[in-house]
Amino acid sequence: MLSRIFRPIKEGFFGVGRHAAMSLSSASAVTITLFIIGIFLIFTANVQSFTLNIEQSMEISVLIDYDHEQQEQLDAIGLAIGNIDGVRSVNFSDKDQEFQYYIDSFEDEEEQAIFEPFREDNPMHHAYYVEVYDGDNLETIANQISQIEGVYEVNYGGESSVTLVNVINSVRNGGAILAIALSLLAVFLIQNTIKVTILARADEIAIMRNVGAKNGFIRSPFLVEGIIIGILGAIIPILCMIFGYIYLYDALGGVVISNMFTLIAPHPFVLYLALILIGVGIVVGFIGSWLSVNKYLRWKR
Amino acid sequence: MIELTNVNKTYKNGVNALHNVNLTINQGEFVYIIGPTGSGKSTLIKLLDGEEIPSSGTVKVVGINVGKLRHNKVPLYRRNIGVVFQDYRLLPKKTVFENISYALEVINMRKDAIRHRVRRVMNLVSLDDKGNSFPSELSGGQQQRVAIARAIANRPKVLIADEPTGNLDPAKSDEIMTLLEKINREEGTTILMVTHDLTLVNKHRKRTISLENGHIVADMEDGGYMQHVK
Repeated sequence: MLSRIFRPIKEGFFGVGRHAAMSLSSASAVTITLFIIGIFLIFTANVQSFTLNIEQSMEISVLIDYDHEQQEQLDAIGLAIGNIDGVRSVNFSDKDQEFQYYIDSFEDEEEQAIFEPFREDNPMHHAYYVEVYDGDNLETIANQISQIEGVYEVNYGGESSVTLVNVINSVRNGGAILAIALSLLAVFLIQNTIKVTILARADEIAIMRNVGAKNGFIRSPFLVEGIIIGILGAIIPILCMIFGYIYLYDALGGVVISNMFTLIAPHPFVLYLALILIGVGIVVGFIGSWLSVNKYLRWKR
Repeated sequence: MIELTNVNKTYKNGVNALHNVNLTINQGEFVYIIGPTGSGKSTLIKLLDGEEIPSSGTVKVVGINVGKLRHNKVPLYRRNIGVVFQDYRLLPKKTVFENISYALEVINMRKDAIRHRVRRVMNLVSLDDKGNSFPSELSGGQQQRVAIARAIANRPKVLIADEPTGNLDPAKSDEIMTLLEKINREEGTTILMVTHDLTLVNKHRKRTISLENGHIVADMEDGGYMQHVK
């Protein structure tokens, strides 16, 4: 009974060994495609995380009118902002803090001194800083806030923020589409390679049917072979991706250009990456073998 | 055992290979099918083997209507018959032992029973010491004997041999003939042998069926080729 499970596995390993050259050529097709898929995964995953970072760091600053500075009025405005859909957090900053921020924004002490006299007669407004869940909603939410009574001015970075979010979104979507297209291309490429390698064995399959082997009996070792080839082909890309990414991360100090673009930490990211790549290798090897063997099972009656 | 009724076979390209063939072969018989190239011998084998479907008429072997079998049932049917081909059709990447045992593995025979049976048939075809050789390391006659051993390993009721001596010299052909006669006698297997080896047919006299242009032109109980050489 157990031999029904172990026979195809044993035969599959023998098959890879006895057709070493063909197995190698199929495995190298897998290697190349997994390389491409791996690079795109790293790219899209990081762009995805950049987007999240940027979207989360985008704020709407809300300045309060001078005639709404009573505590209950401020609370009412804060509550009204918090009730808007899509608002993640609302932080209050009073006019003294605002003044200090303003003065601190000058590095030169002399320049700072120029503004000191205004501390007593503070021209700044009380302010709320609003974070949103989704950068796409920045403009809508800003407009809603400006409708609230007592709001003097709303600032969200205007068009440039919206454009940045749009650009990042299209880069991310484009990357995802490209990755999917490449995966499909990979299946096609690998199926063709395996088909060519099995073509040489079409006779073998016909002979197996001649001596009374059922289709499933013939197919199973080939499927195991496909899976083994998929795993073999995944080894090199996985090692390169793991060590390459860790090296890249260390070399760049974990960021690209500025702190806004923080790379995903290698652990456990590379582990997931390895699992995805080996999974893709196995699935692609399996599907490729399945399609090819079926074609040759039908070759002769 | 084998029963062909009004069998016609026309290939897709329009070639008319067999015309209204009626034939009955009984259990335990040894029958030659002779005829020149293109007379329909190979088509007859393919019909019996299940590789081709008759255009009309029925082909019945061991009670199974071969032409009506579904694609995935054909291998199951083939477990009842053994076929020996002119080009041997051994699995090149398997050893002699594995080639023969494969035919037994597919019917889920127990491992020790397989080993026992493979040794038995290898002894029958006098290849006891070649178990670990690959087909490419054997001579033509030896490869043909492996093919025969494989064909009879699961004790088929019918053995079909398509020009088993086609690639062999007269001495080796005689050896194969003796072997087939031994199988026919000792295992009680019905044997259908396609050949155009005139000397062989005249030396080992058996029931002989002569095909020409897709028609059965003679069916002689005590054999002989001479009558129909034009």
